[in-house]
Amino acid sequence: MRSTNTALSRRGAVLALATVLLLAALPSRAQLRLDITQGVRDAVPIAVVPFGGQAEGAATDVAAVIDNDLRMSGRFAPLERRDMVARPTAGAQIRFEDWRLLRSDFIVVGRVEPDASGLAVSFELFNVRTGASLLAQRLPSTERGLRATGHRVADLVFERLTGIPGAFSTRIAYVAVDGKPPTQRYRLIVADADGYNPRTVADSTEPIMSPAWSPDGRRLAYVSFEGKASAIYVQQLATGERTRVSARTGINGAPAWSPDGNRLALTLSRDGNLDIYTLELATQTLARITTDDAIDTEPEWSRDGQTLYFTSDRAGNAQVYQVALGGERRAERLTFANGYNARPRLSPDGKELALVTLDRGGYRIAVLELASRNLRVLTDARQDESPSFAPNGAMLIYATRDRGRGALAIASSDGAFRQRLSSDQGDVRDPAWSPFPPRG
Amino acid sequence: MPGFLQEHLRPLAGSAGLHLALLALLAGAALRWTSSQPPVELAIEGYVVDGPVRVKPLPQPRSTSPAAVPPRQEEVQPKPEPAADPVQQQRVEEAVAAERAAQADRERRQVEERAAQARESELAREQAAAEQRSAEEAQAQRKAAEAKRKTEEQAQAERDAEVRAEREADLQRRLAAEEEADAVARSGVMDEYRALLVQTIERNWIRPPSARAGLQCTLHVTQAPGGTVVDVKLGACNGDQAVRESIANAVFRASPLPAPRDPRAFERRLEIVFKPTE
Repeated sequence: MRSTNTALSRRGAVLALATVLLLAALPSRAQLRLDITQGVRDAVPIAVVPFGGQAEGAATDVAAVIDNDLRMSGRFAPLERRDMVARPTAGAQIRFEDWRLLRSDFIVVGRVEPDASGLAVSFELFNVRTGASLLAQRLPSTERGLRATGHRVADLVFERLTGIPGAFSTRIAYVAVDGKPPTQRYRLIVADADGYNPRTVADSTEPIMSPAWSPDGRRLAYVSFEGKASAIYVQQLATGERTRVSARTGINGAPAWSPDGNRLALTLSRDGNLDIYTLELATQTLARITTDDAIDTEPEWSRDGQTLYFTSDRAGNAQVYQVALGGERRAERLTFANGYNARPRLSPDGKELALVTLDRGGYRIAVLELASRNLRVLTDARQDESPSFAPNGAMLIYATRDRGRGALAIASSDGAFRQRLSSDQGDVRDPAWSPFPPRG
Repeated sequence: MPGFLQEHLRPLAGSAGLHLALLALLAGAALRWTSSQPPVELAIEGYVVDGPVRVKPLPQPRSTSPAAVPPRQEEVQPKPEPAADPVQQQRVEEAVAAERAAQADRERRQVEERAAQARESELAREQAAAEQRSAEEAQAQRKAAEAKRKTEEQAQAERDAEVRAEREADLQRRLAAEEEADAVARSGVMDEYRALLVQTIERNWIRPPSARAGLQCTLHVTQAPGGTVVDVKLGACNGDQAVRESIANAVFRASPLPAPRDPRAFERRLEIVFKPTE
């Protein structure tokens, strides 16, 4: 009886222990929950491996184009080629452990192949950490079009990894000044967004200023003093054909295209004082928008074309205002933070104005958030000017000074990254980033 | 694995103990149910034992026994009457003789009766004595039974107390284990561990521009004891592909994850919620 009892309880104990072990093996404890509210703006490490099918020192190194675009965006830190332990040109050849050891998060491989119509560029993007294939495409190309194809690959990679379309296939316009007075030469230049393929579209011994892209990216409006007085021209880029659209008495300046491309906002002094006007291009109909005694200049259109932003010194120093085109056209001041805010340029999403602000003794690029009126300063030099958003809103191009000469620089729109654009065109200024080319 | 065992040993032992105790209790109850019926009867008998205690004046009925009745009959006997004349004397004498004879007869009968009565009362006494003896015996038996019952009850009570004490001790152990876990949590070790993990992952999360306020993505991460991330699974997520790629990579980049100051705070499974503030 007693022994049975003991045996029973022993069996019970074994059973109980088994149960306990079983329960312990199951996820009995709650998992630890973590809330991540911050990230870093570090550049994403990526490896762009030299593409196959290209000889060393080929005229256009496609991988180098991609590498440079990604680096220029400030959001990527491409791996140096000398650190690459292998040169895979297809996904099957990638040993992900190698690239993990090199601390790359992503890898781009590809090759240039002959194609019925010329060339084709095949590329693949992988997540090195997971080995997952994120993109794989084959793009038709030509020998001359390899750079453009490289930019296209960079656009696709950038979009896949940042969530915003790349803008590396777009262009920039700027003014280059060569020589010294009195034998100066002004050239209006259009180049790829990375500064390559510069092409002079207009040149003059007199100043050229304020290039502005039409919304379709096919025309440029700009100010030229070629007739010893300022005038505004609109030039077709494809044909070089140009039209003088405003040569009124006094100053004709600061053209800006309306979103529909039918009107220009501009600054005229024909009524004795600098004021903002709009000009209907087809009919030459002029409308005066501001009438203040102070200087009103540098107009910029809102996305809906119903409001103009502009610079005015009516408060004693330069500040940014907005005025609705309908109704009483009463100007409302937008900037209060610093003693100087000028040259507003709208972001592609219409929510922010890039401008020049006098910040702690330097003229710097800042972004004003229209809803909150918060101003964030992006740059830290002394003479930065002429900001212009890339059409994807991720970057801005602006003019800065480099050893006494004008230079162009690019900043990410959060200000985390800045990079000087190298140029062999001497003194450069007044950059303007093109819109995306029209689809189709 | 040894770390895991060590870590879980105390609550495990506590739980095992509890199960053991409960099982033993159950088994004991079952056994008593099937084989310990006498104690149940004993309890019923105990109830009966209480009755005779009230019926204790049982020996007393002796005073009301038939032996006490004869004296009263004696008193009722007819008194002797005085003589009157010789005939009468004769008659009287005859009568007296008869009377005497009758008297003698009566006396003899009385003696006999008394003897019988004595015998009867002796019998009654003996019977009473016997009855008392048997009553006493029964009482002794009852007392013994009661004593036995009391002993068993006490033993049971002791066993119960033991089980109770065991359960109490087990409860105490479990409470202690819980308190210890609690103490780990309260002491800030857990908070510290959590903060360490958050900091490490935040430093490794390269936030894409599309990760804006309002984003909320959950990752279910499993780490090996050394902190090496062995599995990352995406849960609910309202972000785009770029966000998904970036958060998984944040965890992989952070691998191996930092260890807690107190190994007891280590958690294999992490639920990481990415919800950036603007």
